[in-house]
Amino acid sequence: MTINPDEIIYFQMGWFKINATIFFTWLIIIFVTFGSWLITRKMTSEGPLSRWQNLLEVIVEVINNQIREVSRQEPGPYLPFVGTLFLFIAISNVLAIVPGYIAPTSSLSTTAALAISVFIAVPVFGIAGQGVMNYLRQYLQPTFFMLPFNIIGELSRTLALAVRLYGNMMSGTVIVAILLTITPLIFPVVMQALGLLTGLIQAYIFAILAMVYIASASQVHQTLEKKSEQ
Amino acid sequence: MIIDWYTIIFQIINFLILVFLLRHFFYGPIIKMMDDRERKIVEREEEAEASRRKAEQETEAYRQKNEELEQKQEELLDKARSDAEEEKSELLNNARSEVDQTRRRWEEALEREKEAFIIELRRRIGLQACLLARHCLDDLADARLEELIWNQFMAKIGELSDHDRSELEKGFKANDFRLNLSSAFDAGEDKIKDLKKKLKVIYSDSEAELELEYKKDSALICGLELEAGGYRVSWNIDSYLEGIEADILKELNQVGPVEDNGEVPAGDQSENS
Repeated sequence: MTINPDEIIYFQMGWFKINATIFFTWLIIIFVTFGSWLITRKMTSEGPLSRWQNLLEVIVEVINNQIREVSRQEPGPYLPFVGTLFLFIAISNVLAIVPGYIAPTSSLSTTAALAISVFIAVPVFGIAGQGVMNYLRQYLQPTFFMLPFNIIGELSRTLALAVRLYGNMMSGTVIVAILLTITPLIFPVVMQALGLLTGLIQAYIFAILAMVYIASASQVHQTLEKKSEQ
Repeated sequence: MIIDWYTIIFQIINFLILVFLLRHFFYGPIIKMMDDRERKIVEREEEAEASRRKAEQETEAYRQKNEELEQKQEELLDKARSDAEEEKSELLNNARSEVDQTRRRWEEALEREKEAFIIELRRRIGLQACLLARHCLDDLADARLEELIWNQFMAKIGELSDHDRSELEKGFKANDFRLNLSSAFDAGEDKIKDLKKKLKVIYSDSEAELELEYKKDSALICGLELEAGGYRVSWNIDSYLEGIEADILKELNQVGPVEDNGEVPAGDQSENS
């Protein structure tokens, strides 16, 4: 059995290759985009809502509320990034119940890619929120000597994000695979159900943590602003 | 190797593409839709509030109009009522006066009829009484009624009071000593001579000759009348008939329609006749 979906290669042409991770990521992108398009093109702002529109609105509203609670800011600018993190991870995890499907999140490459995205997004949002100097000054807080530790903290939490998600998702796949060889009946189903739960929880945790990091980067400005207001 | 940098970069790009696509197809439209709906709800609430306020104003206006109309209606009704009352009383008065007039006319007609009837009755009673007396006298005394009447008349002339006598004298003196004798029956020459003699006896002191003109008048019922210059001495059955007439009128008033004043208007008229 293959633990790493990166090593399952469907197509290769010179340096260009399409492995299972990329392939299923594309599938998810197409699925999500097409689904969204299908539902949102028939949306109305009046009269009775369709069930799908209702579902999507509930999802968006829940994500918005979560962002608002964590960041104590209006969710507008963060929604696309954080929401997409959550939706991508959740969908790729939930689809794991489909036979033959390999979750892209069970590849460390994918989780690392998401973690790097967060790693990059944090300073981007921070700088966008409070300016370059204010953002960089954070690394010198509370004193100049904390700079190395701040940098290490920044890097380590990115690593932790990547590994946490990867570990959870890969372990799920691996446990099911191992259990199938030991007890082929019933028990793997329970584990898969559990896998769905952990998959959603991981998606939630990932997105929330990303939001916390981003918020902490743009929070200083907010608190400073509040102080000046007072 | 677990970490494949090629895949990582590819996945980063994939993720960014997904973010872009979802932003375009998912978050954008849905957020826009929700904002739209919120705005529309707010608008609708404002509209509802505005229309509610307008409706309240209109209700108030209609209520006022209604009250005014009711007031006007009340006034009109009052006016109509009072008009009708006036009209009614006027009509009633008219009807009453008409009824009164009709009744008066009817009463007058009745009175006239009664009067005519009484006159007629008196005439007939007189005639009948006359006839009756004549028959009685014929049958019982074997004498002519005229004879008795004449004798009675003569006696009356003979027993004239001083006042009557002087009045009669004044009368014929003013009338060139001419006297008119009217009688219901044929008086003979002898009787007229007797009367002349009697008058001469009475007025023996008068120097001039008395003239007597005789005239037959059937309107005098069984009677005689001596007239001179407006003064007259007569005997006829009238006085008796008047008594009978009074009695008959009394009877009629008791039997006939009850008069309003309860009097006997015919009594006055009988005296005049």
